[in-house]
Amino acid sequence: MTDEHSVEALAAYALGSLDPSERASVDAHVAACDACAARLRAYQGVAATLPLGLAQAPPPPEAWGVISATVRARRARRRIEAKASPLVAWLRFAKWPAVAVALSALLVWNVALQRELVRRAPGPAPGPEVEALSRRPGRVVIFRGTGKPEASARLFVAVDGGGHLAVSGLGQLPRERTYQLWFVRTGSSAMSGATFGVDRYGHAWVKVAVPRSLDDVQAIVVTEEPAPQGSAPTGRHLLDALPWR
Amino acid sequence: MRGGRPADARIGEPTDVELLQRMRLEDESALEALYARYGGLVFTLALRIVGDPELAREVMQDTFLRAWDGRETYDPGRGRVPWWLMGIARNRAIDLLRSRPHQARLREQEKPPSDAHRVATVDPGAADALALRRAVTQALAGLPESQREAVELAYYRGLTQAEIARHLGQPLGTIKSRTRDAMERLRTLLEPLIETGGSEPRRD
Repeated sequence: MTDEHSVEALAAYALGSLDPSERASVDAHVAACDACAARLRAYQGVAATLPLGLAQAPPPPEAWGVISATVRARRARRRIEAKASPLVAWLRFAKWPAVAVALSALLVWNVALQRELVRRAPGPAPGPEVEALSRRPGRVVIFRGTGKPEASARLFVAVDGGGHLAVSGLGQLPRERTYQLWFVRTGSSAMSGATFGVDRYGHAWVKVAVPRSLDDVQAIVVTEEPAPQGSAPTGRHLLDALPWR
Repeated sequence: MRGGRPADARIGEPTDVELLQRMRLEDESALEALYARYGGLVFTLALRIVGDPELAREVMQDTFLRAWDGRETYDPGRGRVPWWLMGIARNRAIDLLRSRPHQARLREQEKPPSDAHRVATVDPGAADALALRRAVTQALAGLPESQREAVELAYYRGLTQAEIARHLGQPLGTIKSRTRDAMERLRTLLEPLIETGGSEPRRD
């Protein structure tokens, strides 16, 4: 539908006069609208002829020499790189097996830890969701018991985002208190990943909501908060994954 | 220019797309042919934007080097070869202008006269090229001053519609409709010529 609004945007687009977000919305629109795509092409043709209306200035005669010499130098460099390329190609090829080995090792460790936890924690069985999470490849974040030296924890973040936390060494809490896992972020408020209690052995194994992006997560901590759950970490850090990266 | 060859290309010469195909086979002479075809226009555009012959030469050299490096990425579906080249040159020149605000301020103080009234001083010789140039010059000269100004601030100064509105102290809606009216008028006048690439048939 070529309405007035979109024609204005198309005209400005062809002249390179839109900001990036407006440009993106025109791109999305013309991808789905043949009439506007055709109109845009016509405007782009017009824009490209505008310099024909200028007083033509002949380019400096030495310009082609510079272009030609640079192209030759680049081609020569590429030929040299091509000779070195078997090693580069091998490294490129070897990268994926290395990643696969690392992921397999992580998976094996993950499963081994799960078995260990099951063996050592006869308390409430983890839900099937948590078990499923534990079998997925991902990264492991190790916590130190900064506020409770006998406590430790491992957070597993699956490659597709889900996470689970295995904790040991925390004390049981009264009903009105809960342990809470936090992702402390720069630029936005801390996000709660899970609330949990521990069994009589001090163990817990819970599913964790992991933020979509871990890029701005500065620290991951476990605190004790009033139940059912706090909106921001107020208790002291019992477990701390700093520095976690 | 819409055709595979420029308006001033002779029968029997390779089309722009053929030149691009040869460039992909590392044929440097194809880049030279493209330069012979569009070097002048790219330099003219760069000079109009940056206002300094030395910087304009830098932009032009960079444009053809980028065209060489990007020869695999050119997509005929997104426009003709000269559009692609003008796009590279314009972006590069506007970037340069923005990275040197001092120079931009000087240019602003100069307030170059509108180019629409100027007559092309270099004639490549071919009658159809001259016809297209004349048509573009006349079409621009026929626009109301306010519309021409909006087009020139957008295309040659790289200002967004909102920046033009601020620059001229006009409502954004006014600038948008001036730009649209100008482009619509230019399209009506020039599209037949652009469509056929002058009087020659499209070959690509």
